[in-house]
Amino acid sequence: MEVESGSDDFIDDDDDFGGSRGKNVKGKGKAIDRRKKDKGKGKINEQAYAWEASYTRSWDTVQEDEAGSLQSAVDDLLARGRRRRLLAPSSAFRRTIIRHLILLLDLSASMMDRDMRPTRFDLMLEYSREFVLEWFDQNPLGQIGVVGMRAGVGERIGEMSSNPQDVLKAIADRHKLEPAGEPSLQNAIEMARSSMSHLPTHSSREITIIFGSLTTVDPGNIHDTLDACIKDKIRISVVALAAEMKICREMCDKTGGQFGVAINDGHFKDILFELIPPPTQRAASKAGGGASNPSADLMMMGFPTRLPDTSPPALCVCHSELKSEGFLCPRCSAKLCDVPTDCDICGLMIVSSPHLARSFHHLFPVKPYDAVMEASLSSPSANCHGCEAPFPKTASAMSGEGISPLGRYKCPICLNDFCSDCDVFVHDVVHCCPGCGK
Amino acid sequence: MSDFAVEPSSHMSVILDLTPAQWYLSSLPKNEYPLSFRSFLSQTLAFLNSHLASKHENTLAVYGALPGKSVILYSSTDSSVGQDETVADANSYQPFKTVDSVVASQITDELDALGDSDEEAPCQLVGALTKALCHINRIMNPNFTTGASDAPQPTREPRIIILSVSPDLSTSYIPIMNSIFSAQKLKVTIDVCKIFGPDAVFLQQAAHLTGGSYIYLERRDAYLQHLMMTFLSPRSVRGILAVPTQEKIDFRAACFCHKTIVDIGFVCSVCLSIFCQPVPVCSTCRTKFPMKTLQRLNASRPSFPPQPVVRSMSAARTPTTSTPPGTRTPSVSNHHADRTTSISSSASAKVNGSSSVAVGNGMTP
Repeated sequence: MEVESGSDDFIDDDDDFGGSRGKNVKGKGKAIDRRKKDKGKGKINEQAYAWEASYTRSWDTVQEDEAGSLQSAVDDLLARGRRRRLLAPSSAFRRTIIRHLILLLDLSASMMDRDMRPTRFDLMLEYSREFVLEWFDQNPLGQIGVVGMRAGVGERIGEMSSNPQDVLKAIADRHKLEPAGEPSLQNAIEMARSSMSHLPTHSSREITIIFGSLTTVDPGNIHDTLDACIKDKIRISVVALAAEMKICREMCDKTGGQFGVAINDGHFKDILFELIPPPTQRAASKAGGGASNPSADLMMMGFPTRLPDTSPPALCVCHSELKSEGFLCPRCSAKLCDVPTDCDICGLMIVSSPHLARSFHHLFPVKPYDAVMEASLSSPSANCHGCEAPFPKTASAMSGEGISPLGRYKCPICLNDFCSDCDVFVHDVVHCCPGCGK
Repeated sequence: MSDFAVEPSSHMSVILDLTPAQWYLSSLPKNEYPLSFRSFLSQTLAFLNSHLASKHENTLAVYGALPGKSVILYSSTDSSVGQDETVADANSYQPFKTVDSVVASQITDELDALGDSDEEAPCQLVGALTKALCHINRIMNPNFTTGASDAPQPTREPRIIILSVSPDLSTSYIPIMNSIFSAQKLKVTIDVCKIFGPDAVFLQQAAHLTGGSYIYLERRDAYLQHLMMTFLSPRSVRGILAVPTQEKIDFRAACFCHKTIVDIGFVCSVCLSIFCQPVPVCSTCRTKFPMKTLQRLNASRPSFPPQPVVRSMSAARTPTTSTPPGTRTPSVSNHHADRTTSISSSASAKVNGSSSVAVGNGMTP
């Protein structure tokens, strides 16, 4: 097995450097065959080029115990999860939570390439929709605008909006977005930059470019645009579908963004979705060159009251439509259709408190539970403090770092014992210890 | 299982708020509809029985939120909780009898165990809620590690019913919100019946965000009827029935500094901590805020709800000496009319008005 994986690595390297042309061509033909087969099988395996993945025989790493059960393997996986959690950096605390993003879509003729199925264009639209939904789920206070690059100009497709439905509507109709002509990075970036120029300094400004072309048709010097973006602290990230372009890499490096070239559709999605979690501010200040952090600010926000759809209808201030349901601004009692938004009357920023609360578990994480290594004398409880599952009476033989042979994990504050299921659930989902409520 | 497609069995976790002081207040005869703990318990038990009776596969767990601690009182999925020592009785349905006797005896034990000092401690609703979630997590995802005794079970519709008598505990704002989000992830509906005391802001949000219903019990003598009509039906049936929903939902939050519930707060842009007044340094992430913002916010602070009306009047009144009052009064009353109808054309007028007010305000000190 060692030898096998070694040889795989070798091919992998060879391919990366564009080693032998013949091999590549052959590989591509093979890949297409493989993909067809995959399609027949219902697209179970998204990894198109087996030799590009690090070859692991995952079934060999799972070991049955003497009784023939897989419990030890499962426990091992759980323990690995625990360890990862413990290693997670505790300093990733300062994240830019209020984000403004312009999604820059390449709508040039090169997007009609069929190297990703069905076309690069269709796949891009599909992934962008998923991206927008997921992005708003994790960044409830953010806003997204959409700009297209088509026929040498930048085209505004969707205005900056904090409502995912608005953004989705903008990119819903593929016939309006039919690719044509050459893309112009400079024009599109200038357009995106100008639409973010009015934003307050405490929010982040980001441009995410999905770029399928290998050329850009610019009216002027794109490096001037790049300098302007650096000055405006705009972070540019590029997901390239074709190959790496020097200017794209440079833009990402200088503005502190991420650059990635998609190998296949699965990888495309992965690198696009890597851009979803809020970026840490430390990285931003390092890339932006700013030593201090002047962007922090205190904002006044209002928490509205929601009216039910049975309340007497009244005109909303945002669309002047007669509506029953809506939100009342706490300062001026104006009726708003949707939150988060700025009140049209008094300008107060209106957010519903659950929007803010979604990020609080980043601030106050649950202390990791200690694995109980030996049975203590002080009459341990028979059941898990969380789910009341009985603990095993006897210690199991397997051991490992972070795994308790007794299946008990103790909260360091309230000293209650929890089972491993609850340990994982409390730390990953609930973010609140059942014993001490912290 | 043919009727599984029609209506899945449901799991119900009931959280009883067992705060003795609040129950004493609730039973006082000076209330319009006093409800004593004894009658509350008997009506609740009738409700629990009807849940078990409505489908054979239905399961039940009962939690008690006591001052300073939370306990599981009964669970139909775990035999380990609440040992049944009652003898079978030919005249009663055994599962009902088990629930009744176990819940009643457990509550008696727990209340007896409470010392005088414990009674002052805040009610551990969060603990009961998170325990209920852990329990639901386990029975929804039967796992090899712990659920060895559990037979493979059909998917259930889980829900949590909170029977609350104590007021909101603003210190538990963050844990409650975290529990709500995890309930959303587990697709658990949270229903709330507020039996006594003021409206609970956080529980309103919990019910709203998880698709449950929040009932404020006005006629406490009709407690059982409310339970049966509102909370007995599982989620799949509620689309057909017109279950009462809450009127207004309060989206207010508790500030981190004084734990007061605020409707206009000051939020750190880095970590989104909420404060009830402008602070120079964020207590959570240690971010320093610029002096200019503080001054600006402090200047605009007195502008809380009742104030703007008064101020627009005074702003209108100050120049009255130079101009005839007849021209001004209608414009003021217009402003008031605009506030209620809130038409967008008036919106621009109001923006002008408020900006001029701001200028006037800036000049007065």
